Amino acid sequence: MAFQILLNIIISFSWMFLKNEWTFADFFVGYFWGLVIIFAMKNFLPGRFYFERIIAAGKLLFLFLKELLLANVQVIRDILRPRLDIEPGIFAMPTELKSEWEITLLSLLITLTPGTLVMDVSDDKKVLYIHAMNITDADQAISDIKNTFEKAIMEVTR
Amino acid sequence: MKVNDMILQTVTTLLSFIILIFSVYLFFAGHYTPGGGFIGGLMTSSALVLILLAFDLKTFKKIFPINFLTVAATGLLISILTGVAALFFDVPYLTHTFDYVELPILGETALTSTLIFDLGVYLVVVGVAMTIIQTIGESE
Repeated sequence: MAFQILLNIIISFSWMFLKNEWTFADFFVGYFWGLVIIFAMKNFLPGRFYFERIIAAGKLLFLFLKELLLANVQVIRDILRPRLDIEPGIFAMPTELKSEWEITLLSLLITLTPGTLVMDVSDDKKVLYIHAMNITDADQAISDIKNTFEKAIMEVTR
Repeated sequence: MKVNDMILQTVTTLLSFIILIFSVYLFFAGHYTPGGGFIGGLMTSSALVLILLAFDLKTFKKIFPINFLTVAATGLLISILTGVAALFFDVPYLTHTFDYVELPILGETALTSTLIFDLGVYLVVVGVAMTIIQTIGESE
């Protein structure tokens, strides 16, 4: 990933040296051709083609914004109801993510979507403890998070 | 009771660098726009305090094996010497000069001796703030 980006920047600079033009526009053109070349040679390089990951990161951002909107609407509905009809609870969610960055990203995404809040991470980094505002079915909540955020994060990092 | 600070520590590793570059920007912005040595120094201290909060004092001393009192003293010395340097040019104490200089890469740049004075202020603020925080943190 990092090696491919570095290679792309080196290609851009080579393009600028060949053209002898030192503007951002020429860097951009060189970067575009570098992207085409790296896409053509992607089986020669280790790892996945890095632009796929950038698209996956964009998808993750879009998913986050969508979830934020939906969950906020849900919380507004809970607040405006005349009778408070919520069942708060804490549940443990086993996670398959390995690195600290992935777990932190997942925790922040869970926390920023209203209704759920990460309270703690277990010492072996395998379980997240989540407080939910309105929880009727813990397994349902776990599978929801797993199918949306965790899958999207894995798309980016693996 | 030991809690797992993993989320705070991971975010700190990224955020402290962003705060540090912002402090450098503030330090150099001081001549024409809001900013300067004092606020830059405070911003640098806030980044260091964030590291101190997320990790512990022992780790912090491993990252910065310097005595912050020395930093404050160095800053004060720099500020005084920029003032004294004015005496060699037969102008009053603390007179500052300003000029446009041709630099090899940057081209025409406005350089002023106030920047060196500001660097002294910056170091004093960082040194004093960090000394206060560390001494409070150490005393049981």
